[in-house]
Formats: sequence, C-alpha cells, structure tokens
Amino acid sequence: MKKVLTLILAVLVAASVFAGGGQQASGQQELIINSYMSDQAPKEAFEALVADFESKNPTIKVTVNTTAHEQFKTLLPNWLTSRQAPDVVTWFAGYRMQAFAQRGQLEPISRAFPGNTFQDSFPEAFVRASSFNNEIYFLPQSWYWWAVYYNTEVFDNLGLEIPKTWDDFLAVSEVMKQNGIAPIAIGARDTWTAGGWFDYLNSAINGMDFHVQLTSGQVPYTDPRVQKTFETFADLQTRGYIMPNATSYSWQEAATLLFNGQAGMYLMGQFIKDVAPAEVRDKIDFFHFPSFGLPGYAVDTPIDGFMVPANARNKDAAMKFMAYLATPEAQALFTVPLGRLAANKNVPPPNDDARRGLEMVLGAEGAMQFYDRDAPEEMAARGMDALLEAMQNPGRIPQILATLDQDRVRIHRD
Amino acid sequence: MKTGTPKHTWNHQTLAPWFFLAIPLLMYMTWVIVPIIQSMFFSLTDRDSILFQRQFVGLGNFIRLATDPTFHLALQNNLFWMISFVLVPIPVGLAIAMFFNQDYPGARWFKTAFFIPMTLSYAVIGTIWAWIYQPDFGALNTLLRSVGLDTLARQWLGDRRYMTGALIVVGIWRQVPYVMILYVAGLKNVPSELIEASMIDWASWWQRFTNVVLPMLRPATVVAVTISIIDSLRAFDIIYVMTNTKARAAEVLASYMYSSAFTFQDYGYGSAIAVIQFLITLGFILIYVNNTLKSEEKL
Repeated sequence: MKKVLTLILAVLVAASVFAGGGQQASGQQELIINSYMSDQAPKEAFEALVADFESKNPTIKVTVNTTAHEQFKTLLPNWLTSRQAPDVVTWFAGYRMQAFAQRGQLEPISRAFPGNTFQDSFPEAFVRASSFNNEIYFLPQSWYWWAVYYNTEVFDNLGLEIPKTWDDFLAVSEVMKQNGIAPIAIGARDTWTAGGWFDYLNSAINGMDFHVQLTSGQVPYTDPRVQKTFETFADLQTRGYIMPNATSYSWQEAATLLFNGQAGMYLMGQFIKDVAPAEVRDKIDFFHFPSFGLPGYAVDTPIDGFMVPANARNKDAAMKFMAYLATPEAQALFTVPLGRLAANKNVPPPNDDARRGLEMVLGAEGAMQFYDRDAPEEMAARGMDALLEAMQNPGRIPQILATLDQDRVRIHRD
Repeated sequence: MKTGTPKHTWNHQTLAPWFFLAIPLLMYMTWVIVPIIQSMFFSLTDRDSILFQRQFVGLGNFIRLATDPTFHLALQNNLFWMISFVLVPIPVGLAIAMFFNQDYPGARWFKTAFFIPMTLSYAVIGTIWAWIYQPDFGALNTLLRSVGLDTLARQWLGDRRYMTGALIVVGIWRQVPYVMILYVAGLKNVPSELIEASMIDWASWWQRFTNVVLPMLRPATVVAVTISIIDSLRAFDIIYVMTNTKARAAEVLASYMYSSAFTFQDYGYGSAIAVIQFLITLGFILIYVNNTLKSEEKL
C-alpha cells in the first residue's frame, strides 16, 4: 500500500512539473531573466524591481535565475547560442555587448521605444555605448564611478590633505608609510583590481585619446608611453607604498584594511560601499585620481544593464520589461538603495556621494568603461596580469610588454 | 563429408556478452569516444567557431602553441608536477607503509590518520591550504616566525616564484596516503616464507629490503608511479581553488585549457591544448594498461 501511495505521489509531482514547464494558464506568459546579481544588496534591489514589474503586468510571470558573477561570464555565450535562450540577460555596455551583437546573437530593443524615447531618456554617451551599427541592443540601468577611496580618519589623524597631483599623492603616501599605515590597499589576488590602476594611470599620464587607441588595439604595448605607465605602477611597489602581500588578498579582504585604518587609500569602484560595515561607511570618502599635469582627466564609469537574446522565446514580454526598466521610477527603484547613478538622466542622484560622483564624471574629458569592457576580455586579462607581474618584477617590464604585445597582435587580428 | 574447423556461428554463447555490453558500450561511445573525436576536430577550428560559423585553420592552433610562452610555462609546470609526484610520494608512501606494516600498538590508528587526506575533496584541501599559506596570519608563516625563521616567511600563493611549488606541496600531501595504501596492500602479498628464509640466511635489514621486499613490490610500484604521473597531469582542482586560475604563473595544461576555452571562448585553442594533454596522458595510460594486462596474464 505504501508503495502504491509513493508511486501515485511521484506521478503527481512529475505531472505538476511537466504542467509548469509546458502549458500556462490562459493568458499567462513567462519571462525568464538570467542575472549575475548574486551579492546580497543588488540581489534584493533587483527582486523588488521584478516584484514591481509583475504587479504592473499581472499576465507576466517572471523567473529570475541568479548565477555568480564569474560563472555567469562563462555561461552567457552558451545561453546566447542555445535555442532555449533566456528572455533577458544582465550584461555590460560597450565592447562586451558589441562582441555578441556583431555575431547576431542579440535582439534589437528599439521597438520597445517608439519615437525618440530611448534617446530622450539616456545621455548621448550611453546611447552610443548601447548601440552597434545604429541599432540599440542594450538597456542601460545603472552606472558608477571609480575613484580613490580613502579613510578620512587616517587623513585627519595625520593632518593630510587630499592630493591633487601625483607628487602630492606620493608625499601623502610617504607620510602614511612613515606612520606605519599602508598607503595603498589593493586586493590583487583578484587581478581586475589592477585594471583600475591601468586605466587611471595610463589615461592620466598619456591622455584619454592614447588610452582609447591602446585599448582598441591600435597602439603596440611596447610603446614607451605604455612602459611609463607600467613603471609608474611598479614604482609604487618599489617605494613600499602598496600594502604588503597585496597579491594574497581578495578585493574585499583588502577593503577591510582600508575600513579599519590599517591602509589609507584604495582605488576602487563605488561598490566598495556595498561591502563597508555600517559603522565605517561614513568614514570612507573618495577623491579624484591625481593629475600628472595634463589639462583634462578621464574617469572609469562602467554601465550595467540588460540585453535580449536573439533566441529569446518570449520577446514580447522581454520588450515590455525593457520599456519598464527604462522608466525613471524603475531606475530609481534599483539605484537609490544601492547609491548608484541611474542611467536615465531624469533620475536625480540618490545621495550626496552620488552627486559628487556625477560632478566628477561631468567634468571629465572622457569616460572609460573599464579595461575589460574597453578591450577584448582576454586582452584585458593578460594586461592586468602583466601589470601585476611588472609590480613584482620591475626589471622585466620590457620583456613583459613584448609578450603582451604578441597577445595584442593575435587578439586584435580581425 | 565436411572437414576443417567448425564455421563460426552466432549462438547464445557468443551473443550474450555483446548483449550485456551493448548499453555500456553505447554510453561509452556517446560520452567518451565521440567527444574526444569532436575535440580533435574542434582543435582544427578557429577561436569561437564552435558557437558560430565553423572556420578551419588547419594546424594553426598547434603552430600557435609552439610559440606561446604561456603554453611553454604550462608544460614546464606540468613537468615539475610530474617529477615531484614521482620523486616524493613514492618513497615517502613506501616508508610509511613499511613502518606501519609492523605489528605494534596503534599501527592501525596511525594508518587511518595518514589516510584521512585522501577522503577530502580537492576543493576542501585547496581552501584549507590557502588559509595555511595566508602570508599574514596563516599557519605556515606563523610557525616560521615563532621559531625565528622570519626571513623564510613568504607570500606562498601571491609570489610568482613560489606559487607552483606551494601548490605541488599540497598535491603531494594528498598523494602520499594514496601511494601508502597501494604499498600497504602490496606488502600484504609479500609471502612471509620469503622474509623468514632471508632471516635464516642472516640477511641484513637493508639486504632484505632491496633483494626481497622491493622486487616483490614491483607491481605495486608500477601502479603507484603511473597513477601518480597521471594524477600530476590531471592537476587542476587545487590550482583552480587556490589561485582562481587568474595568475598565469601557476598555469598547467588543464588550467590553461580551461581558461582558453571557457573564460575567453577560444574553443579551438582550448581544444588544441586538450589534444596535447590527451596525447601525453594516453602515453602513460598505455604503459599502465600494458603492464596490468601482462601481470594478469602471469596469474
């Protein structure tokens, strides 16, 4: 008898699973979103957003599949080629989006924006970063800035001023070093932390135009100007300004040193505030990367958002979701709790930090997306590894750059 | 009248084994043989052409391997892994097995204790050892500092010079008990009459070891050496867990194949690396299988 009951139960469970996958209740549509927002704060903000969308579109049932960031990057190319692609995926603007658009794997989202609503909602630079061959493939949602985050308590205790120039920066570092505080925190076990240094040093030393040419593969890495960038970074290590054992720490572990005052400064994205404990959050402030004497400056401002795969099964619902995501209300719902900037220009900055971040960006001569979004991913990965190798072996910089340039020639060959 | 050998006929006797083998063989073909052939085919294609339109580049990927410094580094590191896996775990495992082969109180307990690393997954081992190697508060550097050897404290996983060595130590730590178990089993098969005979002949301990025990352990040694070599070529989990495979200094064939194919979507190049690794491993597997078949024939 027991066996019969188990069997019946098993059949019922199986049947309900099949029913769920196949037939929908009349008029019900399913929207499948694959998301990389696995950190607690963004995940919660996104859940609230999805709930709001569902309440406004009762006929659409949203399923969110969350995958950890690094795994997501590996899986996305497979999802996009699969015949059972998700309807919406999270992703990055610029090069990273274009890589898929040029292979025809993305659905243009223009039809969700009749007339000029897209162009009216977003700044021109964002429209450009969302387009490929005059078609819009990317919905920008939030963006943030990279800057030198610093511990205000450390600066106050040592009577330090915010450094404006590179010489000031070195002087400030020297004082911290003399006082037993690691001037520069960097969690270089995560090699991407070196990407921020590469972007800011290279654009500050050699100018924004040169940086754009380099990341788009037009200039060899053996150029003496690139060597200057690498040498300047390695010099920080030689002077003993970079925290000890930096390559053994993850980015969050290194942030802890900044939070508790063992380190003074950390070149990082605004998301460093996501991991700061509430009691130290107000002690952490940021300033713009110091100048090497060039008139303008560039900032790292990665844009995050969404795309619709060409193989999506429910494109109608996906387009509704795109139109919804672009609205100022939906953008605020996500960005305000996280203190980021909304891509929609009609959403005011959520707090004072964001207002200052926005000012810094508006005053810049150009915006970078971040090394691994401005350059092909493999090129950036090799470049960031090379920068860290240069830090540990300053004497080998010419050889390191020669190898890196071989990679550039191969990766950018078409 | 018919003469000569009887004609081969299909009957129950000859059909039955094929009947039982059919399903496993089919699965083996589908999941092992076909993918291997597919990878060989992919290794001749360009970049991400598996996902998009296929473009043959002939031996292009292999030509690139010949001049790729990262590939050379991976080969060199793999060789380092292989040599260490033969030179260290084999003698150490044998020594521990010999030691515990004697009867004394607690021998069984010690044997179990030594075997424990084997029961842990590489992911767990990698995580634990990453803590041990942590430069500021990890167990290893703390130990070195407490005995006054501060100058020896290093960034074991952060410094390119020590990375591979530090990872190999972890691999060896896991490999020793495996070899030990192989030898413990091997020692059980050494006939006690031989040992007693050598004692009657007044052979010294060393003579007994080199002339009686070691030759009797030959089959166990062959297994231990080939398995260790194959394991060293498989090294991936520890490297992946402990270095994120981001730092190229510790790259081996398996990790380079993984990052080429799955992180950078260069499936053609990743497949080419896989083919090379397959050929190297196949060589050792053939030696191993050949040897096992021979010893089975002897029985």
